[in-house]
Amino acid sequence: MPAVGSAVLVGMADIQVIKHTGQVGCLGLGSCIGLCGFDPVTKVAGVVHIMLPEAFADKSVDKPGKFANTGVPALIDAMVKAGAERSRIIFAMAGGAQVFKFGANADSKLDIGARNAQAVTQILKQLGMRIVGQDIDTGDYTVRTVTSGEKTLCNLKG
Amino acid sequence: MASELELGLMELSVVKEMTNIGLGNATTALATMTGRSFNMSVPEVESVNLDRIPELLGGSESFCAGIYMTIEGDVSGHIGFLMPWTSVQSLWRMILGAEPSEPSEISEMDASSILEIGNIINSSFLNAISDMTNLTMHATPPLLAVEMSGAILDSIAVEASMNDHVALAIRTLIHDFEGSFEGFFVYIPSLGGLRTLFSSLGIAEAA
Repeated sequence: MPAVGSAVLVGMADIQVIKHTGQVGCLGLGSCIGLCGFDPVTKVAGVVHIMLPEAFADKSVDKPGKFANTGVPALIDAMVKAGAERSRIIFAMAGGAQVFKFGANADSKLDIGARNAQAVTQILKQLGMRIVGQDIDTGDYTVRTVTSGEKTLCNLKG
Repeated sequence: MASELELGLMELSVVKEMTNIGLGNATTALATMTGRSFNMSVPEVESVNLDRIPELLGGSESFCAGIYMTIEGDVSGHIGFLMPWTSVQSLWRMILGAEPSEPSEISEMDASSILEIGNIINSSFLNAISDMTNLTMHATPPLLAVEMSGAILDSIAVEASMNDHVALAIRTLIHDFEGSFEGFFVYIPSLGGLRTLFSSLGIAEAA
């Protein structure tokens, strides 16, 4: 549990779960996805910092949080373990940007952000989960600092 | 496959020396383009886990421009050159005589001039390594991002994670004497590429 006022930061491919009070989040999302789950009754919140849409077929998965297809179920499992009720968990996600916007083949390359967002959405749907808020690549340059109130992605408590 | 490579003192000092030469090349190229003098600091070479790359520059919410290139050939990998927003503005002033005050005002001319500068800086860095080892390294056309440094590094780390695992990252600083410009390299050779590099220099594979 973090000290009051400090957030648990979720590094790349990590999963973190907190209960009751505190903050959990990601800093500096680019093409990665920060997916946040919350159970409003038991107040269990979790975040996974997903890097890629799908695990490689020919490599073992060292960190399930790295990929959308393993990270989403792993986040749900970790939250259930902490006391969340699976059917009550609601989700919000951010990231999935195309950060490199300028250059000769910027459009054709590095579309990994969009693919990440697509994969996470699809997997949540398959699992019958509800997405209540999202902020994926909008094409502008605003630095969005959710914690300082500059932008509220969605209010999971509401 | 190991996700990290433990570099011995020998390997680290070789990488450091290569970086020094690469950085010298890049600094000279930058000075030629701008007609100004720049200084470089001794590179910090670190073997880091890919997951930690976004934290390399600290302050992940600071606004930066990053020029990123994928490297193909004998030593595949990734290279990115990052500059804080105020440093890019200084560069624009040096080269174009004026600068956009906001990232949203970046014109095509602004973007292409920074892309070209980044291209030259990154390529001179790579050329030094290539000359030293006789290995071929082809850089793909550069891409530019103007974003939070964390988001730029996050995206580079994602690109790197799609192929080989990362073994190494190099952090360096180029700065001018007025303190108006600074820039950092993040060079990420693939594990396979790094092994090729070391063996071409007659260094036995690291443990």
